[in-house]
Amino acid sequence: MQFDDQGRVNKSKKRAVFNQPEAKNRVELFRHLPQYEHGSQLTDLESKFLELDSMHPAVYKVGVQYLAGDVTGGNARCIAMLRAFQEVINDYSTPPGKTLVRDLTAKISSYVSFLIECRPLSMSMGNAIRFQKSRIAKLPLTLSETEAKAALCNDIDRFINEKIILADKVIVRHAATKVRDGDVLLTYGSSCVVEMILLYAHELGKQFRVVVVDSRPKHEGQALLRRLLAKGLSCTYTHINAVSYIMHEVTRVFLGASSVLSNGTTYSRVGTACVAMVAHAFRVPVLICCEAYKFHERVQLDSICSNELGDSNDIARVPGRPDVNSMDNRTNEKNLQFLNLMYDATPSEYVSMIITDYGMIPPTSVPVIVREYRREYLLI
Amino acid sequence: MPDTQALVNDFLNKLKKRKIEGSQATARQTAELLRSVISQQRVPYTNQAGALIDAVKAIGEQLIAANPVELAVGNIVRRVLHIIREEDLSLTTAAIGGLNLSAVSDDENDDDRDGDSTLSAAAVAAAARSTLRPPSLQTLLEDTPVSAAVPQTSSSGGDSEGKTADKSSRSRKLKHDVIEAVNELIQDIVTCHEQIAEQAVEHIHQNEVILTLGSSRTVLEFLFAAKEKKRSFRVFVAEGAPRYQGHLLAKELVARGLQTTLITDSAVFAMISRVNMVIVGAHAVMANGGVIAPVGMNLVALAAQKHAVPFVVLAGSHKLCPLYPHNPEVLLNELRSPSELLDFGEFSDCMDFGSGSGSPLLHVVNPAFDYVPPKLVSLFITDAGGHNPSYMYRLIADYYSADDLVVQRRATAGN
Repeated sequence: MQFDDQGRVNKSKKRAVFNQPEAKNRVELFRHLPQYEHGSQLTDLESKFLELDSMHPAVYKVGVQYLAGDVTGGNARCIAMLRAFQEVINDYSTPPGKTLVRDLTAKISSYVSFLIECRPLSMSMGNAIRFQKSRIAKLPLTLSETEAKAALCNDIDRFINEKIILADKVIVRHAATKVRDGDVLLTYGSSCVVEMILLYAHELGKQFRVVVVDSRPKHEGQALLRRLLAKGLSCTYTHINAVSYIMHEVTRVFLGASSVLSNGTTYSRVGTACVAMVAHAFRVPVLICCEAYKFHERVQLDSICSNELGDSNDIARVPGRPDVNSMDNRTNEKNLQFLNLMYDATPSEYVSMIITDYGMIPPTSVPVIVREYRREYLLI
Repeated sequence: MPDTQALVNDFLNKLKKRKIEGSQATARQTAELLRSVISQQRVPYTNQAGALIDAVKAIGEQLIAANPVELAVGNIVRRVLHIIREEDLSLTTAAIGGLNLSAVSDDENDDDRDGDSTLSAAAVAAAARSTLRPPSLQTLLEDTPVSAAVPQTSSSGGDSEGKTADKSSRSRKLKHDVIEAVNELIQDIVTCHEQIAEQAVEHIHQNEVILTLGSSRTVLEFLFAAKEKKRSFRVFVAEGAPRYQGHLLAKELVARGLQTTLITDSAVFAMISRVNMVIVGAHAVMANGGVIAPVGMNLVALAAQKHAVPFVVLAGSHKLCPLYPHNPEVLLNELRSPSELLDFGEFSDCMDFGSGSGSPLLHVVNPAFDYVPPKLVSLFITDAGGHNPSYMYRLIADYYSADDLVVQRRATAGN
């Protein structure tokens, strides 16, 4: 939904489960995206815990985890949501006078809009929801309710297993062949697939070192750094401004993605485009590691048309720097805005190769995979 | 002399401990220090310029060694040396012009061969002729390399009788002129912002979107000047981790009523497609047109090139360095404390010497500067006007002498 359409925004507010005050100083360029004041959302949602009769507790729990930021990353969010849906389906019983297919679909839609209120969907979640709804719609009418529920839960299990867990294993096998002895591998932020690749290559005994590049405001790289050091990898840590300094010693760049779009653009954590651009300028190959279920048939040219806006206070406040933080009282100043983008779009010419569970493909082959392998949500 | 020595030692200490922030402050203090050194220096009757140059070179060598990354120090030392040479040249030319000497024209090559501190009158006059007179067909034709060797000792002996009277007044005049010129230099350093800001109106129009990174006083004054002339524009400020000076710049811009948006450095590529112009300051400008700038600038320059956004660098003339950069990312860079990136307390368990080779597993890299190659810069705006990066090497001839590129006191006996 485009948030600059006032009529639709008002309608959705009426249906909202908990109210979210809109941010005061909004950047003009991003009027079409939702931006809320983050301070009171969590407490408001938690206070509504006992009032939500229509909400399944599993879905509520996942919503709170999204809002608090406990569950991040495309795969983790998708798995959490699907497991919650499994519980919903198990506890579901068709009300009298309604069909299972229509009613269950309506319920899932309402839960999905609640999750969107907590945090806008990632592309992986969107694809998973479409898969789920198509499986519900395709249920043969002859099945009894228990059989239908069992079949749906089974489908969800297969989806998670094949599209995410096994796909990750295949990607790790492929990518480990691209790591040679003496390599210096650079990664940005914290991607679960890239972490698996590095740990697997280390287990195979390959000698390499890792450069972890991090940025504000989330500093996701620090968690990855800690896990890599615990396993004994030799790591260098730096921030994104120093990428030009460190790039001359890097041999390969491994990046994760939230999604890859049909024009070859990689949609991932903000800053990935900067890293890919500098790597391209230094002629270092950039490898994107992304499961095929995250591919999407949308196209996007820049990072503005579709994005997610985070908490502007994260930008205004710099933890541990009181001299800079005297800016805090300025958040209400009308001329000053803070922009906290969550994603950006990396053009396809910066990407050398995408490693997926279908193999290692160039960015131009993404629409082929979307068309051939996703038409009916085939499960291998 | 002892008080100048104390001043020099004090300044050296401040440079070594990196207590002086910013190239403008460094340049001004260097110039003031050299001014006091010159005024205190006792000069002999003959060859005062040589003595002054020696004294300045001795101090300059120490200053440059104290902080080699702060190029403004070396720039000012070389500027002062150039001033001394120029003032001496103009004084001698005036004297020679009065005596009507027609020395065979030759150029400064003679000087170089004998050691640069020897400036005999005839050779200087010859130099004056070749530099101060624009080349014409006549001078090109009368240049005969046969009588190239100017008899130095004889001519200086011959001249000295006629000019003893002038020399005593000349000695006072040289120091006086040099100190006046150094005062002008200090004035230029202090007012460079205004002269650059005057050009703001030519470059910023209505409804523009400008991107900048970190904080630079020159950029601030530039944008204010455009605002004074009622140009409406918006500014995106990238915060410039890990010093976060972008926050301070944003605060100042908002206080003056400019629409400002603060973004993280990682969002630069995402936002640059909506930006009309990138305006940044520099730490130093090298002779090839390359820029030493706060870390993160290369990222902005590459993104600007990809989206065909003009990348404009504002730099006062005291930032122009006559050296060509070789491996500037390493040699002209400083690595700052890792604690700005990682909290020691949280990562202390990972700092152990864990692996078999005895080296720690974790390295933290925190460079202070970035090098932007000249092909990424669209325009330099200095207090002398706007220039292409390929033109910067010509400005060096205005401000510096070729003899001063290596500031080292030559151990030649008897000047």
